[in-house]
Amino acid sequence: MLPARLLKDARYFQIIFQSIFLTYGIFVLHWKSETWLYATYFATSLIVQFACEWIGGNKNIPLLERYRKGIPSVLISSFGLSLLLKTHEPVAAILAATVSILSKYILRINGKHIFNPSALGIVAAVLLTGNAWISPGQWGSDAVIVFTVLSLGFTVTTKVQKIDVSLAFLGSFGGLLFTRQIIYLGWPMDHFIQSVSTGSLLLFAFFMITDPKTTPNHRVARILWSIGIGCAAFYLATFRFINGAPIYVLVAAQPLIPLLDKLFKARNFEWTPSTKMTIQEERFLQTIYSKSVM
Amino acid sequence: MKQKILIIGGLTLLSPLLYSFCGFYVSKADGTLKNKTSQVILVRDGNRNVITMYNDFKGDTKDFAMVVPVPVVLQKENIKVVDPSIFQKLNDYSAPRLVEYWDENPCNRHMYDEVATVADKSLNRMMAPGKAESREKESSVRVEAKYLVGEYDILILSAKESTGLKTWLTENGYKIPPNAEEVLDPYIRSNLKFFVVKVNEKEKQKLNNNFLRPIQIAFSSPKFMLPIRLGMANADGDQDLIVYAFTRKGRIECTNYRNVDIASNKNIPLFVQKNFGAFYANLFTQQWKNEGKNISLLEYAWNVTPVNQLKCDPCVGNPPAEQDLVQSGVWWLYGKDWNDYSDIDNDEPDNGDRSVYFTRLHVRYNRKSFPQDLMFQVTPNTENFQARYIITHPASGDFNCAAGKKYLQDLKERRKKELQELTRLTGTDLSNWQEDAMAKNDETKIETVQYETLIPVYKETFPDRDTGPVGILFLSGLVLGAAGFLRWKGII
Repeated sequence: MLPARLLKDARYFQIIFQSIFLTYGIFVLHWKSETWLYATYFATSLIVQFACEWIGGNKNIPLLERYRKGIPSVLISSFGLSLLLKTHEPVAAILAATVSILSKYILRINGKHIFNPSALGIVAAVLLTGNAWISPGQWGSDAVIVFTVLSLGFTVTTKVQKIDVSLAFLGSFGGLLFTRQIIYLGWPMDHFIQSVSTGSLLLFAFFMITDPKTTPNHRVARILWSIGIGCAAFYLATFRFINGAPIYVLVAAQPLIPLLDKLFKARNFEWTPSTKMTIQEERFLQTIYSKSVM
Repeated sequence: MKQKILIIGGLTLLSPLLYSFCGFYVSKADGTLKNKTSQVILVRDGNRNVITMYNDFKGDTKDFAMVVPVPVVLQKENIKVVDPSIFQKLNDYSAPRLVEYWDENPCNRHMYDEVATVADKSLNRMMAPGKAESREKESSVRVEAKYLVGEYDILILSAKESTGLKTWLTENGYKIPPNAEEVLDPYIRSNLKFFVVKVNEKEKQKLNNNFLRPIQIAFSSPKFMLPIRLGMANADGDQDLIVYAFTRKGRIECTNYRNVDIASNKNIPLFVQKNFGAFYANLFTQQWKNEGKNISLLEYAWNVTPVNQLKCDPCVGNPPAEQDLVQSGVWWLYGKDWNDYSDIDNDEPDNGDRSVYFTRLHVRYNRKSFPQDLMFQVTPNTENFQARYIITHPASGDFNCAAGKKYLQDLKERRKKELQELTRLTGTDLSNWQEDAMAKNDETKIETVQYETLIPVYKETFPDRDTGPVGILFLSGLVLGAAGFLRWKGII
C-alpha cells in the first residue's frame, strides 16, 4: 500500500502519470529522445520559479520552504511542455518554460492566475518564435488504450480531479465531430474513432483543461465553459484546419474565468466529499488551490 | 582503423511494385486493375498547394481513367502536364542508401581501393497505345469544367449525391469499384469536386511517346491532405505511397497518423550489398509491422534550397537542380511565381524567401489501418534525415603483427553485431541470408571470420527482441517506486 499521505495531493499523481506518458513516448513510440529539450524545460522552469519566489513570494514563509512547495507544480508544467511542444531551438524552449512559470506570478486576477501555464507556454512558443510546433500525430491511435486506462485511473485515484470538465469537453467536441463525420458526411465509424482516439486529445481533456486553478469555480459555469471550448475547438479543427486547436481555444477562453466566477457566485468549490472535511483535507485542498496543476 | 570512402548504392524503390496515383481507376474493361504504389509531389506554402500525380498505368490507355477529389473547380491554367523524369530524379536523390567503408590493414597502413557502385535504378514505364473517348454530361451530375491538357481530357464534376455520380459514370460506360459509392458520399458532402482524367488518343499519338505524363494541379486551400480513401476502393491489400514534399519552412509530417523515422545508420553485413533492395524491402515491412502499420515513415529530409551547397551526404543521385524544383511546382523560385497559376486566390503576400525544404515520406496503407485520408502539416523542423546503411570491407593481407591479431578478433565481434543487426532489422532468420553470404565470395580469406562460418554459429543465439512493453513496465514501476519512496521519506 502506498502511504496515505501520498494519496492526498493530486499533483503527485499527475507527475507520476505524466512521467509514464513521457516514458511511453520515448520507449514504446520511439520518439526521437530530445534529452536536451526536456532538460531545458525543467531547468528553466525551476530557475524561473526560484527567481519569482525570491522576488515576489510571501515573505512570511522562508524562501526555500515556499520554493519547495511550488516544485510539484513546476514539474507538472514542465512535463506538460515535454509532452506537447516540439522544437529544435533552445530559445523557443526557454521562452515556453519562462512564459509558463512567469504567467503564474504576473497574470493574476483575484488571487488566481489566469492562464494554464503549459498551455500559455506552448501557444507563446508556437506563435512568437515560429520555430516550435505541436505534433498531433505523435501518439498514434494505438496508444488510446494506455491513455484511457491511465486517465481514468488518474481520475479515480485522485478523486479531486474535475471530471465534469473533461466530460463536458469530450462530450461537446466528440459529439460535434460524430455529428459531422458520421451523421452528416457519412464516413464509416472507424473514421470517427481515429479522430478521437488520439493521445493528444485525451492528454488535453484529462491533464490540461482540468487544472482546478484555471477553471471556473461554479459547476454550471465550469461545464458551460468546457462545452464552449469543445465547440470552438471543433470549429477551428474542422473548418479552419488548425492543429492543436483545443490548446489555443483554452488559452483564449481563460480570461473569461474571472467573469464567469463573478456571474456564478455560489461557493468557492463544490467538488467536496459528502462528509465534512478533516483539517488535513482542508489543508490539502488549499494546497491544490494555491498551486496550479499543469 | 577505418578509411572512409564515400560510395553509394542507390535503391530502386521496393520489390515488385507498380507506380500510379492514389486515385481509383474506373475501368471499362472487365480486367482487374490494381494500383499498388503511388508517387506524388506536394508543394505547400501558406494555403497554396501544387500536387503532381504520377501514373504508371499498365494496360490499354482507353481503359484509363483516374478520379481525384479536389477542393475547388480548377481552371485550365492550373492544370499542367510535366516530364515524368522528375519523379525518377527525386526518387534517385532521396532513396535509401548503402554506404561503404574500407578497413585498413593494421599491419600495412596504406592499401585501400576506391570502388564505386551504383545500383540499378531503372523504372520502366511502358504504356501500350490505346483509345480514349470523352462523354457529355448527364443527369444530376454537373460538369463544372472540361479541358484538354496535354494528352488528357479532363472533366471536373460536382455531384449532389454519390448515386448520381455513380449513375453518371455507369451510364457513360465505366465500371465502378464495388465500394466506391460508400467512399464517394463523404467527399460529395464535404463539397469536393471530382477531377476525372482520361487519355485523349489523338493528342497521345501526336506526342509519339509511350508513357503517360504526370499531371500537376495548383489550387488554394487551407486543407493539406491527400485523398487515399478513394484509392482503397479497388485496392486489394496494401498500397505504397511515396510523398515528395517541398515547403519553405521545414519538414512536413502527418497529423492524423504517427510519424516514425525509418531505422537508419545501421552497420550491416557486407553481403547485403548484393541484395540491398530486398534488404530494404524487408526492413521496411518489419518496421511497419512492429510499429502497428498505421504510421507514416520518414525516409529522407533535407534542405534543397538552390544556394545550399550540401544537399546530401552522401549523394545517391544528383540533387534536384533549380529547374527540377520549378518543374515540381516550387513556384517561389527564380523564373516562376504563383501568378503563373492564374485565377487562383492570390491574397497571400509572398515573402520572397527562396528556401526549399524537401521531405520524403513512405506510407503503406490499407483500409483497416487507415480509416482516414492523410492529413499533413508543415513544421519548422529542418533537421536532416536519410535512410543510410553501412557496410565495411575487411582489410586484406597478412595479419601477423600483434595489432593484426587484435584486428581479426575485433572483426569477428563486429561481424557478429552486423549479423545481429540484420536479423533485428529485417525480422528474418539468419539462415535466409546464408545463401547470399556464401554466394558472395567473402573478401577476407581468414576462414574464422567469414560470414559463412559465423552464420551457423550465431543462428540459434539471436532471439527476437521486443523490449518496448517490458521497458515501459519497468520504468513506470521505477517511477512509482521512487515517488512513493520520496513521499514516504517526506522529501516531496
